[in-house]
Amino acid sequence: MEEMNILDQKFDVAVVGAGPAGLAAAYYLAKKGFKTVVLERGREIGSKSIYGGRIYAAPLKEIYPNFNSMPVHRWVKKERISIMPDYESMISIDYQGKDAISFTAYLTEVVKWMGIQAETAGATIITDVPVTNFYRENNKVAGVVSGEDVLRSDVVVDAEGVNRLVLEASGIVKPLKPELVALGVKEVLKGDSKQIEDAFGLSQDEGLAWVFLGAATANVPGGAFLYTNRDSVSLGVVVLLDKAIVNLKDHISQLVESLRTAPALKNYLKNLRISEYSAHLIPEDVWSLRPERLVYDGLLITGDAAGLLLNAGYTYRGVDFAAYSGYLAGKAIESAHAQGDYGAGALSSYEKMLKDSIVIKELNRFRKVHEIMKNNLLFEKYPKIMSGVMKRMFENSDGPSKAWDAINESCKENQYSMLKLLINGYKIVRAL
Amino acid sequence: MSSPERKLRLTDIINVNIWDVDSKPHIIVNYEKCKNCPTKACVRLCPTGCYTETENGILFSYEGCVECGTCRVVCPMEAITWTYPKSGKGIFYRFS
Repeated sequence: MEEMNILDQKFDVAVVGAGPAGLAAAYYLAKKGFKTVVLERGREIGSKSIYGGRIYAAPLKEIYPNFNSMPVHRWVKKERISIMPDYESMISIDYQGKDAISFTAYLTEVVKWMGIQAETAGATIITDVPVTNFYRENNKVAGVVSGEDVLRSDVVVDAEGVNRLVLEASGIVKPLKPELVALGVKEVLKGDSKQIEDAFGLSQDEGLAWVFLGAATANVPGGAFLYTNRDSVSLGVVVLLDKAIVNLKDHISQLVESLRTAPALKNYLKNLRISEYSAHLIPEDVWSLRPERLVYDGLLITGDAAGLLLNAGYTYRGVDFAAYSGYLAGKAIESAHAQGDYGAGALSSYEKMLKDSIVIKELNRFRKVHEIMKNNLLFEKYPKIMSGVMKRMFENSDGPSKAWDAINESCKENQYSMLKLLINGYKIVRAL
Repeated sequence: MSSPERKLRLTDIINVNIWDVDSKPHIIVNYEKCKNCPTKACVRLCPTGCYTETENGILFSYEGCVECGTCRVVCPMEAITWTYPKSGKGIFYRFS
């Protein structure tokens, strides 16, 4: 082992990572008077942060009394799900609601805001420092290591994100496997706010969340998304990594480019220019990815690192779940402190609170979605059958077919049993 | 970079990003192991195309890395030693 340089200063709590989970934990703890430090590997808070593009508000409103100053771009008032049999055509379902429960924003801006909240509450945030391991005393986690430097703390919150280098180094988890994660690749396309509002039929502050299935992922299980920001569009593709290894023929960036240049989307994306290109791994099989425990002696694991991300089929919930888990970790530390003990037993109220919270409840409710998502038929056969149905109904020069006949004929053409289609359709609806 | 009608080359796309490239690579590839790789999945799945296939085998350059971790996960040969760049180096996101 190399020579360690143990720093004099000691904190009550050290947080690994200034993302949504770590900053929510730091905010809560600092507010309660804990001497809290957040260690972030990026040059600035947010410089390494990337996600799809929308955040559900309720958990954040519960954490932050001053939520109204959150850098929201647009409240999602319109939802659209489109099945693309090819890049020329799509079958869409539109929903327009009265009350928006989610908003679009740049995560870089959101975590900067969360950083300000934490610092205002009294937390210390140190950037440019990648944590490489935990520091242990008597087999308990008692701080963090960065290179040769050791920063001691009574307890550590791991909020390092999906690439769990620290948890791996400490032997708590094994390296990720392709079947556990999906890969998201995204372009941010800039214009001005009026351009976005005109193209998507939005009024000021109104946003659209749009999901694409089928050709948008070259029929690899996954999906594509489009979110409208204030003066830009986030356009991206998500593919299950194990399926992409086998089934994806082109380079992954081609999927986003094919979608951006798709004839079916050309009227929406006119005159927008690419201003950022980003990528991130997304917890997918969150039950296998979750560490055996989320609390150890002196340690709590939160956010993506804990696999606390929901894939609901038509949307992901990562940022708000991560923040909420950080918030609950803060509460658990508060109660452990009152007992004068940071052992796994005293910290285990974190796991209990999570179980009773929206996070684990929603993860359990959507558990079947993951099984369905792994089904290649959903992404290859079904879009083709649906497109066949639509063509028969809308492009039949002899006049429209009856819907039932159209489904029947399209199933025959695609060599698929209509009964199976109905049964699987029922299963999918049940799971959602 | 404004025409939505034609696809752009990956090198032109990633040029819009901001990096502070470290002088030393944060990812080390053992090319010997790459020689027997059955999938070469990194070539198609590294989002910024850091891995290319040449006559002499896989070639890796770390400069365009966005630190997503994909290469490490898809590599069946355990040929990749993967860490984050040192002290604030690497990709600098602004709008994501």
